[in-house]
Amino acid sequence: MAARPATPASPKTNYKVKAPQPGQPMYGCEHLQRLFNQDQATTNTSIQHYKAILRSIYDTTPLLSQTAKGIDGQIVTSLTPTYLCLQCPSTLTEDDRTKHGSKKSHRFYVDSRSGALYCQMCDDIVWDPTFEELRLKKIGTARKRKHEELFEASDPVRDNPTYISSNTTAASCKANGLRGIYNAGATCYQNVVLQSFLHNPILRNFYLSDGHSSSNCDTPHCLSCAMDDMFQDFYALENTNGYTAANILSGFWISEKKAFENLVTTKEQDAHEFFQFLAEELHERNGDGKKPETGSEHSCNCIIHQTFYGKLQSNTTCQNCGGVTNQVQSFLDLSLPLENLSQRKSKKGTARPGGMLTLQECLDEEYVKSDKCEYRCHNCGSMQQARRQTSIKRLPNVLSIQLKRFEYKQGRNERAAKIDTPVQFPLQLNMLPYTNRARGQDVRENYELARSCTYDLLSVVVHVGEIDTGHYVSYCRVGDQWFAFNDHKVELAQKSDVLNSRAYLLFYVVRSLS
Amino acid sequence: MSSETGETGKAGIIVASDDASPIEKLSHAVLDDLLYNTIHDLLLKVHRDEKIARANTAAIKVEKLAMSTIEGATVDPKPEVEIETEAAIYKEGKVTLKGNPLKSTKEILCPRCHLPRLLHPTDGKGARKPDPGVIYCKRHPYIEKPGYDIYGQTWVAPGPGRGKKKKDQKLDPNDPSSPLPGTEGSAKDRPPNVLSFPSATCSKCKRCILVTRLNNHMGSCIGNSGRNASRAAAQKISNGSQAGSQNNDNTPPGSQKGTPLPGSRAASPRKRDGDEFDEDAEESDPTNPKKKKLKLNSLPKKVILKSKSQSPAAQANSKKEKAKSSSNLYLEQKADDDAKDSTVQVAPKKQTPVPKGVSPAKKIKLGPPKLPLPSVVGKKAKRDRDMESESSGTVSSPPH
Repeated sequence: MAARPATPASPKTNYKVKAPQPGQPMYGCEHLQRLFNQDQATTNTSIQHYKAILRSIYDTTPLLSQTAKGIDGQIVTSLTPTYLCLQCPSTLTEDDRTKHGSKKSHRFYVDSRSGALYCQMCDDIVWDPTFEELRLKKIGTARKRKHEELFEASDPVRDNPTYISSNTTAASCKANGLRGIYNAGATCYQNVVLQSFLHNPILRNFYLSDGHSSSNCDTPHCLSCAMDDMFQDFYALENTNGYTAANILSGFWISEKKAFENLVTTKEQDAHEFFQFLAEELHERNGDGKKPETGSEHSCNCIIHQTFYGKLQSNTTCQNCGGVTNQVQSFLDLSLPLENLSQRKSKKGTARPGGMLTLQECLDEEYVKSDKCEYRCHNCGSMQQARRQTSIKRLPNVLSIQLKRFEYKQGRNERAAKIDTPVQFPLQLNMLPYTNRARGQDVRENYELARSCTYDLLSVVVHVGEIDTGHYVSYCRVGDQWFAFNDHKVELAQKSDVLNSRAYLLFYVVRSLS
Repeated sequence: MSSETGETGKAGIIVASDDASPIEKLSHAVLDDLLYNTIHDLLLKVHRDEKIARANTAAIKVEKLAMSTIEGATVDPKPEVEIETEAAIYKEGKVTLKGNPLKSTKEILCPRCHLPRLLHPTDGKGARKPDPGVIYCKRHPYIEKPGYDIYGQTWVAPGPGRGKKKKDQKLDPNDPSSPLPGTEGSAKDRPPNVLSFPSATCSKCKRCILVTRLNNHMGSCIGNSGRNASRAAAQKISNGSQAGSQNNDNTPPGSQKGTPLPGSRAASPRKRDGDEFDEDAEESDPTNPKKKKLKLNSLPKKVILKSKSQSPAAQANSKKEKAKSSSNLYLEQKADDDAKDSTVQVAPKKQTPVPKGVSPAKKIKLGPPKLPLPSVVGKKAKRDRDMESESSGTVSSPPH
């Protein structure tokens, strides 16, 4: 309560109610309309108070907004929502809300867990365009602003709505990007990766805003053109039949990349390898043309780098002289080994039934814990024991994680085997503990930083079957609904189906973008 | 915790027994509160979607009404008109609500096309019959029905294919998804939600290939994999450098068809160049007629080749073929047998968007390479004829 300033300093700016939009009422309800139409001062204080309440909900410890002072003076901290009065600095329990309203004639309250506005006269939550815009902005973070700068540079001509309507065609309401992709003969490993690209909001916006226009590209059999055509077919046509990715397939066959030569066969392949291939190919078509070197720092402004690439930092500390060497490298995805961890856990006896692991445990192993290694120390001038610690320096917008579900059995007949260990993964992933900002300082109180490191699960690629033969299926989320993609077939999926699957590849999108 | 009474949380579902210890009661209360929060969050999400959709519907309706009253005067962004419905008021270009849209508005209009949204799936779980008198927005609720996809579509079982003999294919007249013995009619007899696998054009050889075989086809047509790699290598050794294949792959387009005629090989890259150019500009309409023209132009040339090279009997056959090309079964079977000899594939589906006249020409494409090797040709041609007469038998005897 005290965290909320009752009267913010010098209201220089006059706050405005969101301009009327066609097909949308201007206010959430009649009562808010009356509030906003009183005078400018009331509008200013209402909006300022709402912003201050949002700050106290999202940027401070929940203890503050969850603690209410009753009418009788009793202080109650609750797990369930409390209500923050929009017109005075009181926080109330649901029961006291009515009493407070009749006593003070304060009619608007903010739900302490969501920031939603409750109108006492409607006796309902109201979704006012002005307040809702502020709330959604708050849930997004500074990263969003950066994104807007990158992709939506202001252009007076382009921002003119009549210009947009006269130069674009509205897609049919039926075209929603939900189509299967036919299996062209052992190509399910491609289909699952293509589906995850198709439902990736950044790639979708890039291609649908003519980021790579296939009519202006001269490269023969350009894979990015094939992607452009595919996005157009998925999001502009009414067709609900499966898609035939013939252009992608031929672009793939024609590609002369030596590194992926082993991929170009009619046999079943690894979806992760195809993901890497596609990412590099699209980077070359859209980016600076430089081949991304593995193990080094590579910055590029292409769509693939902006979407998938992050940076890792490893600190190597010499055990002899204490000297620290830093190394930064770019990554397209995080590969997490499962084998060692599950073995260690079963030795220690800390394994869960079924040898279940969690994604966070695997991340801990790689990006929190340090390991010993030998390296040549510059100070000592000799080989020394060292401690190496890797953490994430820059998080990507879309985080792709590979769970290494294969192992090479040592022995005479070295064969790869599949690891079927179930790995639990969350719908929401907090990546803050694995970044280098989590080191040394107490970040528990920095809610804004934590929010900018929150990721939502976007798609899951699952491999069923043996190591050398099997089938790939995938799950992708569109809004809040999950869909199961099995080649040309698209079906509704439950969250439990998704979370119980034996994931091979996971794609998470940063919360502030979605 | 929130429960001053100390008995349980806000949801009141998880209740500890009366004689439970305080810590037990507390943990029950915490769990109960968490359950309350989960339900609260879910409800809030649904509430938000629904209430915003209904509020916007009220706005769309009143705006439409206002626009219909001020005909012609649409230049003014804020027309001097005041319209009131039971859910909203339109005044000075602004829309304000009247009452709670959850109560005042019953249907949901699509914010884009302004047509009513269909609120229940038409099939499967929770299905309801839509009002036939209403034109709905094309975005329908997704269907949840085993064996069908979200649009209520299902697929015919793949027809007889590579490695599958026709006799292995069990035709069950009771199963709607099994391929029907009928030919052209089957596509029409099928319910519209039963789809079949489509064909696609190979970007290199421009032949129409059933999608399930596309990868294998491209492997042999574009890539240098499988047995064609060794063939190409052998040919490379014997021929030296190849006539310009611009993609640097070592498989000339004709290699899968046996030894090509010198003339045919020289012609094929040129044709491909044209087609490739067209494909790059496929989106722009003006080039499309050109593409068709190119293809048509290339046809007569080959027809001449054929008529020179083959006996009148063969020509008669090809005519017969033309007449029969509507038969789906015939084409499929043909594709199978071809596949055994070479990797040539003939589009096996009747949906193939190729004009009918092309199908004999396709056959003819196979013809010329046989010429320089009379011994093989004799055998092969004989087999071809045998097969054709065989198949003509199956077709001429009506299946009914």
